[in-house]
Parts: sequence; structure tokens; C-alpha cells
Amino acid sequence: MPERFGDILTLLMGALAVGYVVYEIERRRRKLHDIWDVLDEEDALLTAQLEDMVERGELQPYTGATLA
Amino acid sequence: MPRAPRGSGSSQRPRAEAVPPRATAGSRPTEAPARTLDARRTQVVAPSVSQESTVPKEGGATAPRFRIFIVDAGWNSVAHKVLVENFALIRDLQKDDPIYVLSREQSIAFQRRHGTRIGRDPIIAVHDLAAMDESGTTDFHGFRLSLGLLRTPQQALQGLQAFARFLVTHRRSTDLEAEIRADLRREGLAGAIEIILHHEAREMGE
Repeated sequence: MPERFGDILTLLMGALAVGYVVYEIERRRRKLHDIWDVLDEEDALLTAQLEDMVERGELQPYTGATLA
Repeated sequence: MPRAPRGSGSSQRPRAEAVPPRATAGSRPTEAPARTLDARRTQVVAPSVSQESTVPKEGGATAPRFRIFIVDAGWNSVAHKVLVENFALIRDLQKDDPIYVLSREQSIAFQRRHGTRIGRDPIIAVHDLAAMDESGTTDFHGFRLSLGLLRTPQQALQGLQAFARFLVTHRRSTDLEAEIRADLRREGLAGAIEIILHHEAREMGE
């Protein structure tokens, strides 16, 4: 009985460790994609607005040496 | 997680609209005087004479591949400071591509329309002109870096450096989307290895 209990505990701890690693990888993956992401159809409106600002002349290539 | 695969690309960006700005935006004077944040709020700069003389030929070595937009409402954040401190270097590294800096007012107006972006700025959006000419904005057409999500100066600086490195090394890419996704997968894998190694190291230390 104690051996079985020990086996179960080992299995449980192993599963928890694997679960933690999977969770952490997923968390970091999501964060990475929050920081870096591709622009696709979901961003079409934003892109169009920025491009429109350029077309209308509201935005010009920045010529300043510094931002502030 | 990479988003949805490419769509039909039905709303292709008209070439006629895309070509003239690309032609005029390719080079910017590099000796321009420093401007303040207040100055950029109202800045509308006409292309200079020197720009006309250095307009690259279509397909030439300096033809702009990207349009880079910086949206920054001006939060008192680490990312904002890092961007301000390193902007000159970024601009010098990206001489071939026009950088459009939205004023504080424009950035705020932009974020009021797109509330989910609040707190992620400074956001650097890169429009891939080649992809937009090919399939408009319905498919892949660029990428963005949400610098504001990086909390430490080191993270923000590394993010900016990675951004500059990626643009310089991929500006002749024929399939930028695939390369971005491959890089993200590689980063994800590196993160997984880091997690596992960190876990192992911690166990060994106990």
C-alpha cells in the first residue's frame, strides 16, 4: 500500500510538473504574440486608417532627428 | 499563435494609390534638426528637394519596402523612454523606409477608436508594401511590435533591437509572413527550452 501510494504521488507530481511547463510555455507564447504579431485581415481597418492618413497628407515621413 | 491563414485577398490595395507615396517616401534628409515632442504634434513636413533627387528607381537598392508607423500616446513608461532615447539610431538603420510618427493627439485619437490598443503603445506597425500591393490588407500585410507591453528597459531595448535587426535582414524577403511565423516559432521553442532548463537548474540547485 505505501509503495502504491508513493507511485501515485510520483505520478501526480510528475503530471503537475509537466502541466506547469505546458502552462508556462503557453503563457509565454501568448505574451510573445501579444508583443509581436502579424497584421492580417483583423487589422485591415487600422491599416487602412493609417494609410489614409498618409494619402491625405496628414502623416509625412518623419524628418526629425529625435522624438523628444 | 499565428492567426488565421491567408484569406482571399479580395480588397487589394490599389497600386495607383500605393506607388506615389512609396516613390516620395524612400529617402529622408538625415541632417534634419532635432525636434521636440511638441514640435512633432503639429509637424507636417513636405518632401524636401533632396528627396526628389534621391528617389530610388523601382526595384532599386533603396526602394522602400516598408512603411513604419509609430503610435505613442506618451505614457510615462519605460518603453516610451527607450524608444525616445533610441529613435535616432532606429531611424538611421531604417533609412530606406519612411517612418511616420503619429502626434500625441493623433495617437490618442487612434487609440480611442481602437480601445484594445491602449496601454500597448508605443506601437510600431510595419506595413509591408510588397504584400499590400499583392493582396491589399485582407491577408498578411505587415507586423507590429507592441513595445509598451515590455516592462523593463532591457526588455524594451532588446525588443527594439530585434525589430531593427528583423527589418534590415528581411527587407528583401519574398515571403515575409513565413519568415515572421518561423521566427515566432523559433522564439517560442527557445522559450520552452529556457523554461525547461530553468526548471532543471532549479532542481539541481536544491
